Amino acid sequence: MQEEIIKYENIGKFFGSKKVISDFSIRILRGGKILLRGKSGTGKSTLFKMLLGFEKPSEGLLYYRGKPVNSQVAWEIRKEVSYVSQDTDLGQGSVKDLLDEIFTYLPNREKRSPEKLNTLMKEFELEKDTLGKNFENLSGGEKQRIGILIALMLGRDIFLLDEATSALDSELKKRVVDHFLKHEDWTLFVISHDKEWERDEVEIVEIGKDEFS
Amino acid sequence: MASPDISIPSLILCFLLLAVPLVISYRVKLNVVGKTINSVSRMTVQLFLVGVFLTFIFELNNRVLNLAWLLGMVTVASYTTIRNVDLKMEKLFLPVILSFTAANLSVLLYFNEFVLDLGNLLEARYLIPIGGMILGNSLSGNVVGIGEFYEDIRRNENRYLYNLSLGASRYEALLPYIRKSLRSALRPTLANIATAGLVFLPGMMTGQILGGASPLLAIKYQISIMITIYVSTTLSTTLSILTATQATFDEFGLVRKEIYKENKEK
Repeated sequence: MQEEIIKYENIGKFFGSKKVISDFSIRILRGGKILLRGKSGTGKSTLFKMLLGFEKPSEGLLYYRGKPVNSQVAWEIRKEVSYVSQDTDLGQGSVKDLLDEIFTYLPNREKRSPEKLNTLMKEFELEKDTLGKNFENLSGGEKQRIGILIALMLGRDIFLLDEATSALDSELKKRVVDHFLKHEDWTLFVISHDKEWERDEVEIVEIGKDEFS
Repeated sequence: MASPDISIPSLILCFLLLAVPLVISYRVKLNVVGKTINSVSRMTVQLFLVGVFLTFIFELNNRVLNLAWLLGMVTVASYTTIRNVDLKMEKLFLPVILSFTAANLSVLLYFNEFVLDLGNLLEARYLIPIGGMILGNSLSGNVVGIGEFYEDIRRNENRYLYNLSLGASRYEALLPYIRKSLRSALRPTLANIATAGLVFLPGMMTGQILGGASPLLAIKYQISIMITIYVSTTLSTTLSILTATQATFDEFGLVRKEIYKENKEK
């Protein structure tokens, strides 16, 4: 039987008095590929943040590999799960320096690989001189590709992708989706409005369809 | 040659100089007349009381009392630092006061023992004024350092969270913010050190020359005190930020929003 990686059980979330997420449940097994869709404001990103320990559910239970997500498990998740946010923000400095810093983090030290970096940069059409540029001066699309590249460099096999391809052109979107989907054993939990993610092997889950509040 | 005395009538003549800013404020509608009178009155009363207390303390020169006076100054400096950074007192006071005490006291005692070679490390005449100079500079450094650190974390929260999501420990994710705030905190002290003697004659040196010391002795004091100030500002700001993070971040590594005075959050 496939290992259960993530389980949301009757999750609810209030921001002030407004209920943003209501009774959300899902089980994601190893190798599962889920595309989460819903209008903006339905709390999709919040669900990812809960898993990373950045938000707490107001109701319900959240499990990672069978364990309820508490602070200890959240730190574990951050070492095992790759998260790409809508706007990758690495701050000021050259892309190379900022990438180097990520590989000084204890869980990532063994993952530094200039060869892999080169291959991925070519695959996602990032020019070599991108590394020397100030991250803040990159275009939205370049920043997104750097975010994806980091996620792939870390060599993890569970991914939370939050509108990770929204600023890319259709050809690049397809290339990114192909890259993620060619690994059958990878567990993908994706938030996206991009049609490129709608493939046979991807299960689509709608959130907040009948919610008006 | 000691400094000439300033008689009370002479002091009153000095107060008359204040007419200049007051007239300017009135004419240009700066609206600082009230503030000027308030600040100058406060300064006069505070310094007068300090003068009386110091005379008493110098005469008594009791080690315990001297140390207690210094710890009182540390408490006021810590309190003032937090008051000036728009953060709430309760979570920050203990880390800041501990850092101020550890950093400034150790540097001050080192200075008294090895630089001044005092027989009595807690000699009031040195402990209190030099302690005051070190603390005053630490205060400015900490206001900039702590203030910028927490403001930067709040402004760039997504960046910080992203670094946590990549597997950084709290310390690893905070390191860029610590670096940036320490640089800002030390910049004014470094600029003062670099321009000492060129742009201005530093206060301590001026005081000693006015008091009758030779300029060569005065510069030796000034060089030592500037180094001491730089070291204590670096040490106290670093310690404050590092110890404050223990109390102001939760077990998930997130900054506790309730420490900010005005909640700009959703």
